[in-house]
Amino acid sequence: MEDAPPRLSPLERAGRWLGLAALIVGGFFPFIWMVLTSIKTEGELQKFPVQYLPSALNFANYAQVFTEQPFARFFFNSLTVSLLSTVLAIVVAAPAAYALSRLNIRGRGVLLTVVVAFSMFPVVSLLVPLFRLMRGASLLNSYPALILPYAALSLPVAILTLVAFFSSIPRDLESAAMVDGSTRFGALTRVVLPLSAPGVVTAALLVFVNSWNEFLLALSFNTRLSMRTVSVGVTLYQGEFAFPWPLIAAAVVIATVPIVVLIAVFQKRFVAGLTAGGVKA
Amino acid sequence: MALPSQSTSLPAKPHRFRREPSEGWLAVMLLAPAALLLCGILLFPMITTLRDSLFVNKLTEPGLGTPFVGFQQYVQMFGDPRFGQALRNTLFFGVLTVVGSFLVGIPMALAAHTPSRLRGLARVALLLPWAMPPVITGLIFAWLFNGQYGVFNDLLVRTGIIQEPLRWLSTPGLAVAAMVVTIVWKTSSFVALIVLGGLQGIPRELTEAADVDGATRVQSFFRIILPMLAPSLAVAFIFRSISAVQVFDIPYTFIQQAPAQGLLETLGVYIYRTSIEFLDFGYAATLSVALFAVSLAVTAVYVRFVRGGD
Repeated sequence: MEDAPPRLSPLERAGRWLGLAALIVGGFFPFIWMVLTSIKTEGELQKFPVQYLPSALNFANYAQVFTEQPFARFFFNSLTVSLLSTVLAIVVAAPAAYALSRLNIRGRGVLLTVVVAFSMFPVVSLLVPLFRLMRGASLLNSYPALILPYAALSLPVAILTLVAFFSSIPRDLESAAMVDGSTRFGALTRVVLPLSAPGVVTAALLVFVNSWNEFLLALSFNTRLSMRTVSVGVTLYQGEFAFPWPLIAAAVVIATVPIVVLIAVFQKRFVAGLTAGGVKA
Repeated sequence: MALPSQSTSLPAKPHRFRREPSEGWLAVMLLAPAALLLCGILLFPMITTLRDSLFVNKLTEPGLGTPFVGFQQYVQMFGDPRFGQALRNTLFFGVLTVVGSFLVGIPMALAAHTPSRLRGLARVALLLPWAMPPVITGLIFAWLFNGQYGVFNDLLVRTGIIQEPLRWLSTPGLAVAAMVVTIVWKTSSFVALIVLGGLQGIPRELTEAADVDGATRVQSFFRIILPMLAPSLAVAFIFRSISAVQVFDIPYTFIQQAPAQGLLETLGVYIYRTSIEFLDFGYAATLSVALFAVSLAVTAVYVRFVRGGD
């Protein structure tokens, strides 16, 4: 039994499958439960013991999500704000990360520590001063009111991820190009940039997820209904005393789908990027 | 080594470039936009908060103006029972949820690390709680913990653990337990991700060698894997502690549904209410400085760790 190391005892094998099953069920169940809730009727919901599966597929709740609140508009707002925050954060973070990982800057360690320190600002502490700043600049109820803080709040994690990634690209490749007569800029655009595409994608995904999920600033800065984002939008279906759960569940599912698709498609990149950015910071 | 050329020694002697002014300017130009955004949107408002904490500024009482009161609002804060309660809640939830996220997160990482055909699915299951908007996590768990039709009640009744459905969110002790479970579900992913990164950095040969030497899996986990994970665990611990102290979205959504408000109010929620609901900007700034001080204390530990690790 001990001659081949990868062989597992039946007990270990069972333990491994149990662990995997627990992880998969535990991770997915709350979301699956919302999907099931969203296609039930109010009557099916008010049963105890719980009726686990709906008797019929019922998509009326999904239609109602869009008629009761301007949810399509919320969705468009979230998409716009998250995409533009991502572009801004990457355009600003990439040069900074390049400088921190490639140029010989004195006090590089101190600068990286400062970047880490910035990632520790409590957002709620910035609420009032940022609110005043945005009001002063007449930006309340506009996309920049969210894009600027989202980009800034995600900047530290974007920079750290990119620094970790750039540092893993061998310098020799660049210097070889420069020795061959390329300028530094040429080496950057033709050698470093194509190689760093996966790192940029990871950082961009992180900023996008952060921006899509943000709640506090969106709740406070963009109070006009037409400027609401999805994360605030899902909370608007509850009445003062009533919680129309099938409706809320449908809204929750719609709001979460982009995130689920993103992590399903980019799961490898997320794991690689998060661990690199977190551990090497 | 055979080549006498010196021009290729660029990576080996980086200090040669330090005196070239162009490199310095390049660095400044590349770093300036990031510095501008961070200082304008994060640092400047934080400094404003420090100043605001010394002035009374209540929008509900415009007649007061905004007089300078020095540290009076700090004195008020230390005598404020609601602040005391919020601080205790924050630390209580912080300790429970940080410990909980490690107890759940480490086995999660081990399960996701084992090679299997389900690895892709396992990775998505691992990422989903991390990537889910916190407000939505709060809503989902409020429904799972529903006092009448909640699935947790159903499972507990079906298995005979309880006889009657429990009113989770309106019973103070149970509401606290429900919130801890929710936050642990949401944050274990982060711990698992960092630990997974650490696990991937451990060479296979090490555990295989231990295997050959007759070590059991449990022995090699505690003697080899766990010590090698120490740096990852430390990073995860610090980041989790900071986010635990600042927790806002999940308590906020729970409080909307739970009458057990005092027990669920964290410092973040109290600051939000002081600023947005009571419109007391001066005192909110004072409370913010307190929260920042707590975060900073945790950060200081982190910086010490990073510096020590270099």
